[in-house]
Amino acid sequence: MLQLFLIALRNLAQHSKRTLLLGGAIAGVTALLVFLQCLSSGIHETMLESATTLSTGHINVAGFYKVTAGQSAPVVTQYRKLEEVVRRTLPDVEFIAPRGRGWGKLISDKGSLQAATGGIDIAQEPGFRRVVRVAQGNLDDLAQPNTILIFKEQAKKLEVNIGDVIVLSTQTARGTNNTIDLRVVAIAEDVGFMSMWNVYMPIESLRRLTQINDESTGALHLYIKDINQIPRDMDLLREAFIAAGYKVMDREAKAFWMKFESVNREDWTGQKLDLTTWEEEMSFLKWTVAAIDGLMYILIVVLLIIIAIGIMNSLWIAIRERTREIGTLRAIGMQRRRVLAMFVIEAFTLSVLATFVGALIGAALAGLLNAAQIPVPTGARMFLLAHTLKFTLDLHGIFNGMAVITGCTTLIAIIPSIHAARLKPVTAMQHIG
Amino acid sequence: MPNADTSASPIVSIVNVSKEYTLGETVVPALRDINLSVAPSEFISIAGPSGSGKTTLLNLIGCVDTATTGQVIIAGQDTRNLSERQLTELRLHTIGFIFQSFNLVPVLSVFENVEFPLLLQRKLGSAERKQRVMDLLTKVGLADRAKHRPSELSGGQRQRVAIARALVTRPKIVLADEPTANLDSKTGENIIDLMKEMNQIEKTTFIFSTHDAKVMAHANSIIRMADGKIVEDAKRSTKSRDQEIRA
Repeated sequence: MLQLFLIALRNLAQHSKRTLLLGGAIAGVTALLVFLQCLSSGIHETMLESATTLSTGHINVAGFYKVTAGQSAPVVTQYRKLEEVVRRTLPDVEFIAPRGRGWGKLISDKGSLQAATGGIDIAQEPGFRRVVRVAQGNLDDLAQPNTILIFKEQAKKLEVNIGDVIVLSTQTARGTNNTIDLRVVAIAEDVGFMSMWNVYMPIESLRRLTQINDESTGALHLYIKDINQIPRDMDLLREAFIAAGYKVMDREAKAFWMKFESVNREDWTGQKLDLTTWEEEMSFLKWTVAAIDGLMYILIVVLLIIIAIGIMNSLWIAIRERTREIGTLRAIGMQRRRVLAMFVIEAFTLSVLATFVGALIGAALAGLLNAAQIPVPTGARMFLLAHTLKFTLDLHGIFNGMAVITGCTTLIAIIPSIHAARLKPVTAMQHIG
Repeated sequence: MPNADTSASPIVSIVNVSKEYTLGETVVPALRDINLSVAPSEFISIAGPSGSGKTTLLNLIGCVDTATTGQVIIAGQDTRNLSERQLTELRLHTIGFIFQSFNLVPVLSVFENVEFPLLLQRKLGSAERKQRVMDLLTKVGLADRAKHRPSELSGGQRQRVAIARALVTRPKIVLADEPTANLDSKTGENIIDLMKEMNQIEKTTFIFSTHDAKVMAHANSIIRMADGKIVEDAKRSTKSRDQEIRA
């Protein structure tokens, strides 16, 4: 086998032009794949960070409280007991943040807009500062009662500045209207869709506005160490809450504000829990990553087909050029499967070397662009939820990509290699050309 | 001094063998009802004009081609009953090949080319392989060229590498198809001398085809072919051979 590898390696070196052309093409596709993977991972990571900081945890223990069958509020009561169940079921949960949830109308002297109101305890959520870039004002002031953080676009619509007072009108848990005066203490840079309809206020102020007690909140945002464990943790939590006597809603991959209509149609009153993952809460944005991944895969498949044709052609030529050599090797006692292996090893060696070089180039390019902190155009910011483009090196993905490209190019090499292996020694030895 | 052991059972036995090739709708007979028996350690030349069937006969003996009818028995094995895999094994362990155009693997060194059949056999360890290859390269006078590539050698040197490769597995039979055709007469003469020497030292049966009367003169048996038939199978004395060589 070592000898076959040696023959493969030296043949590649001997036909340097062909090797460089084909290897270059494979390296190029790999570099592109790695680059796009880094981009996709970066977007995914940014989205995860932004979303899980602004409006969802990795897992959310939320729910609806219905005073009457047709009147639901995004509220969970006695959240400390829920927290106990969580800590008992998931001892390795990293952080639990109670967040208020609401939906209301912001009214200034010059305008108004609908917004989802997030009740936050800013002192307890340091991660919030990493995602939200304050353009004006001070984030710490959000610890004071009756204050609000809005985003630039919202400030522009409402025509307000730091220190101005706006009115938030919403429904209480019992379905009556209530209003509160809130002082704008921070205006943050826009972060895409999230900043179009999200505003943040102290959780205590939101409780007073919606007339819920201190033991109630909108949702518990759970942050866990290994997000790959989310599906397992979801199952464990569901079982634990049901065992503890809670009513848990059927799982539905939608954000909580998309469920009001269906919940209000259901014939029940009281409390029902709703367990969701961050991906379910952000399902309306998932198409962004899906579209990038889809585009990436289409592009890679097209390029792979071109490369496969190139590899196949190149091997046909190599086999034609080396037909007499094949005949000789068969005559001196080389079995068919070894001839097959000889050509497959050649394609495999070329692919491994080329994908390795390609992966290095792709990763280096992604690293350079990451360091350059390329700003995301305003339009794209809507979907990407980030100010700058982020590329994340996903080693697992890179190795998978390399393996797929190497696998495909090696597999395609089997067809001409089988032809070479099946040549009759006498026919091969008499070949002219 | 003939070294063929004619009393032993034949190493090659060809019985009523015919070979036909089909070219479109035309059937071309290459061999017509051939019978031949070769004793171990013989040094046989197959002579005849182009198209007489020399190469076809060598291909059948070398198990790289199959007869249309008849029986080809090599080292006691009827090749009709062997699978492709078994035929390859037979070639690997019993037969050595020397080709007109040398047919060395261009990307391997002289040493690696000669070592290659031993690697296919997987019988010897690394040290034994090295010893055997270097012994043979010494015998063919190329020990100092072991690391060279075939492209760095002359035609005669390449053919000597091919001889070493053919002999390295210690086969019972070595087949050589016009081994001197691509060499000048002096180098050709040297190659035949070398083959003869190997025949005498290793007791290997050599069967080679040639046009060249001078080369033929070295054989202890000449099989003359024409139109796919053996027209003469002449055993020759050492004295007559020596006279022909001197002439």
